[in-house]
Amino acid sequence: MTAAEPLLRTEGLTKRYPDVTAVDSLDVEVPRGRVGLVGANGAGKTTLFRMMLGLSLPTAGRLEVCGIDVGHDPIGVRARVGFMPEHDCLPLDQTAADVVATFGEMSGLPPRAARQRASDVLDLVGLDEARFRPIAGFSTGMRQRAKLAQALVADPEVVLLDEPTAGLDPMGREEMLALVARLGTFGISVLLATHLLDDVQQVCDHVVMLDAGQLVVAGPTGSLLERTGSLILDVGADRAGLVAALTARALRAVEAGGVVEVELTDDSGLDVVRDVVAELGLPLHRMSTRLTSLDDVFLTRSGHGGAG
Amino acid sequence: MTGAVYDRGYRPYEGSRGGRASARMALWRATVRRALGLRRPWRQKVAPFVLLAIVTVPAIVNVGVKYLTRNTPASELEFITYRDYVGVSNALLVFVALTAPDIICPDRRQRVLPLIFARPLRGVDYVLAKVGAMAGILFAFSFLPQVVLFVGQMLVSEDGALTYLRDNAEVLWQVPAAVALLAVFYAVIGVAISSLTSRRIIAGATIVGLFLVSSIVSAVLVGPQAEDVDSGRFEGSATATSVALPPDVGADRETTDTYYLVRTEPTAAPLVNVAGLPLILRDVVFLGEVDPSSPMSGLANGGAYAAGVYALIVGGGLLVLLRRYHEVER
Repeated sequence: MTAAEPLLRTEGLTKRYPDVTAVDSLDVEVPRGRVGLVGANGAGKTTLFRMMLGLSLPTAGRLEVCGIDVGHDPIGVRARVGFMPEHDCLPLDQTAADVVATFGEMSGLPPRAARQRASDVLDLVGLDEARFRPIAGFSTGMRQRAKLAQALVADPEVVLLDEPTAGLDPMGREEMLALVARLGTFGISVLLATHLLDDVQQVCDHVVMLDAGQLVVAGPTGSLLERTGSLILDVGADRAGLVAALTARALRAVEAGGVVEVELTDDSGLDVVRDVVAELGLPLHRMSTRLTSLDDVFLTRSGHGGAG
Repeated sequence: MTGAVYDRGYRPYEGSRGGRASARMALWRATVRRALGLRRPWRQKVAPFVLLAIVTVPAIVNVGVKYLTRNTPASELEFITYRDYVGVSNALLVFVALTAPDIICPDRRQRVLPLIFARPLRGVDYVLAKVGAMAGILFAFSFLPQVVLFVGQMLVSEDGALTYLRDNAEVLWQVPAAVALLAVFYAVIGVAISSLTSRRIIAGATIVGLFLVSSIVSAVLVGPQAEDVDSGRFEGSATATSVALPPDVGADRETTDTYYLVRTEPTAAPLVNVAGLPLILRDVVFLGEVDPSSPMSGLANGGAYAAGVYALIVGGGLLVLLRRYHEVER
């Protein structure tokens, strides 16, 4: 019944602390699926998660998770959502099997079902052999897996993953991302908060970018990557002149690292660049497209681009 | 440890789901297990089961002596009464100081609270589950020995089990009531103090300190007692205190100057003794009044004062806990 409702819908959502505005008039609708929530540290990702779980009241605005108004029914939301925090959060002197089963029971499963599901999800995350060992002896990678297992144990509609690849070595990171990618095929929606755009690019089909609590851009990962691209021009000496001329023709151009970088939105921009270079009589040593990544999208859209 | 992820498929859960009540019960069960050391290394099982042994031994000894002395005049002696047996051992207080911090502090120190409050429960459920678990164990550990005592005495009774049951029927409500008052009181104090710190050692020391200091302060306020004077060592100071001999006491004494009962006005000072407060209410439950041998005896409405202080401490402790575990940040 609620399966068609979006994962998250916010209207004017604001969270103000005495000295900082963590989330600022956020209006966004996030579909089900694997969604990346991207932003630098302090962009408001964790605060948004806390508000989604009803653990932090918005200063203004409202939000719905799976179609449920968090302000009216936080318990209903928590019953449907699994949460994997960023920090260490597991009781260290108990076994993974006990911890995950207990959290399953606390999410409403009967004790027998909770133990069975705990065993299944620990298997799923690759902790089948270690599940009867105390968590204190776990490596970082194993702890991250155990944290993911406790979020999944009650078969949630949505899991909120806060920096799930933090502290993992490259192989552990790949495995964690592979797991996250598979969750979608189980019918579990994922909201993946990270500052690593690579992670999102790899597993998410939708992206929400935050910066200083404000929405930078939101949309399907594919379309965001297509819509933008930039051209690298190496013209030798008169780079400032080229930038000025391009800017005069309504193109966004910056001088960076001995080359000029031009932002293009479509192919007609290429013709303009060719004409301008010809008019100025500049030597064109090199012209190449830069491989577009979500980093570029983030940097250009959030206004941090000039700093690079 | 290999990190290989095998595809074993995923089965969605189609069964029933409970709400807040079952979440609260689950937390209660997990806390009781933890406090008893179940599914934990053997070291964690020592304290609870040593305590259980300590509090049960008097009952077993009492029943054994009754059995051995049956049909002799000695069998009339009461070694331990049901009333004395409520809160008989300070081991119970030590157990609170050890266990209450252990079921509370790690949740904060290891940052488990955010995971707990991501479940369908609220702060009040957490408080009820934790206090309930502590109180439940204290109740069980105080009540089970009483059951041993009662059933044992019933079975070795010379008049027959049924007669014993009939003659002692009133303890069947007095014991559970008094034990429940004691269990809830110690549980709220222990858990409330533990909630204020993430360090078990600090919480435990604070609990022991509160019990010790308050009992010392109370003893100082009460002053020298009749028992001390019975030995005759207080003749000097007795002149300085008002000596009030009840008419029936001392009437058959040969010399009054060696048997002073130094009893000033009845005092409310015993209320200051936190650990002893539930025992005053225990006496009210069993006797219908404050124990006549207590320094509080004779104080008008002494029982009501005790009940009031009890309610104040339990209510205050719960308030501290509810504030501390209000899960929603504003």
